[in-house]
Amino acid sequence: MIQFDNLSFGYSRKKLLYKNLSLSIESGSIYGLLGKNGAGKSTLLKNMIGTLFPVEGNVMINGMNPKSRKPSFLQTIYYIAEDVYVPSLTIKQYHNLFSPFYPLFNEENFYKYLQELEVSVNGKLNKLSFGQQKKFVIAFALACNTKVLLMDEPTNGLDIPSKAQFRKLIASVMNDDRIIFISTHQIRDLENMIDNVIIVDNGKLLLHSSIATIADKLCFKTVSEIPADVKVLYSEKTLRGTSVVMENINSEDSGLNLEQLFNGVTENPVMAKQIFSSN
Amino acid sequence: MNDTFNLSRFGFLLKKSILERPIQIIGLTFLILGFTFFIYSAFLYFAGWGPAQNLSFIWGYIGGGIFLSSAVFGYFNTNASGSAYLTLPASALEKWLCGALITGAFFCLIFFGFYRLIDTAFVTAYHNGLDRNSPLYQKMYNAVHIFPFEGNIVRQSTIMFVNFTGIMLVGSLYFNKVAVVKAAIVACVLMGVIYLLNLTIANILFANVDIAFPFNNILIKVGKEAGSIELTPIASNFVDICFQYILPSILWITAYIRLREKEI
Repeated sequence: MIQFDNLSFGYSRKKLLYKNLSLSIESGSIYGLLGKNGAGKSTLLKNMIGTLFPVEGNVMINGMNPKSRKPSFLQTIYYIAEDVYVPSLTIKQYHNLFSPFYPLFNEENFYKYLQELEVSVNGKLNKLSFGQQKKFVIAFALACNTKVLLMDEPTNGLDIPSKAQFRKLIASVMNDDRIIFISTHQIRDLENMIDNVIIVDNGKLLLHSSIATIADKLCFKTVSEIPADVKVLYSEKTLRGTSVVMENINSEDSGLNLEQLFNGVTENPVMAKQIFSSN
Repeated sequence: MNDTFNLSRFGFLLKKSILERPIQIIGLTFLILGFTFFIYSAFLYFAGWGPAQNLSFIWGYIGGGIFLSSAVFGYFNTNASGSAYLTLPASALEKWLCGALITGAFFCLIFFGFYRLIDTAFVTAYHNGLDRNSPLYQKMYNAVHIFPFEGNIVRQSTIMFVNFTGIMLVGSLYFNKVAVVKAAIVACVLMGVIYLLNLTIANILFANVDIAFPFNNILIKVGKEAGSIELTPIASNFVDICFQYILPSILWITAYIRLREKEI
């Protein structure tokens, strides 16, 4: 479980990015952290891994404080930064040097993930393309079997088949003890993968909800005319009419459109709050 | 599990630290050794034994130590490598100890061993090349000796080594990019300020001050006459202790604290 208690963070004490953020993240879920560029997504992840420290309040991950960066904590969490780092080593050398730090590392799975992601195992890692490097780091991170996996824009640099493979892999490694936290602004990459959504903008938490609750509270459909008597969170003209995200007053079943949800919540945060706070 | 120090984890970390960036650590060490050999040969050819032995030792030991110490924590030039380093499951003490061992122990052992090797080779070659029947043989033989590691040059160099490497270790944890240049600039500015401050105080207290290099003596020049004011033995001893033990300890411990609290 990840618990944020009144977390305040800023790169300068005078200008805080997050103010008194409280948030609880349960195990056994894949969280999608959505936000525009510069919204504070990476900052939030870095506070969780302990490479940035809160100005006030604290973050606790499975009862441990990331700030102290104790080995017993770091063994249980893996963070994939947006720009991956790979040294000038072969995959085997990397495995030999880095895997001993992770007691639950599974070598068999590691090579299986590499194969599934079609990562070339020959040559030095730093000679691979950015996408290949990213896939290598994802495979290594998954093989570490840490309880918490934080990924910052993991699909950046991946080609379309690799994105699909990535989604499959993430789904396959998920279990009740694990938390997978994926930060991205490429919202469509997370569709059908996450089961909780967190939307942040300018350091503010705009939405924290499960996919089930979103489907319960909101209706995504295309209409010829925008209804006047319901709260419309977002509307967008399309060739077939107007796509709307509106309050689900008739308990309709509709397919979630993360991109429209994100646009609606970031453009109408007050209405989103009203819709999600109502019973 | 021991979160402060674990021997097997430390072993893995040390191995990783050396082999992960072979060019920065192993390559740089070889470069320093090569540079030392070059300086030795060049000065031997152009300036003789004294400058060759002294300067190659000083430049190789101190200069090499400066570059190596700025590289051991040189993970922070990118966010990804910095994060990977900080989030690697090892304690800050173990990470610091790796840097300290590579710079303060391994490099010194390798450098001293290599230096003794090349020095012995050069000196032996010189001795063997002398004409044993020459009347000057004994004099020429005795003129060149293997560089002594117990001498004042090694002692003074070691004091400078521990201070400058300490500055570089701290600097590489404060400056993420081109740490060696930025730390060197800060160190030079700091030394300049200390020198000027010392000179100003000396000028207030004494007339005709010529040189007041921190901190052991002040050179006074009146016309063609020159004299110096020395610190009392107790004060001089205190200054020596400061430069030999206190300042390096502060710098190396600061590097540990900075590493523990490093954010990226």
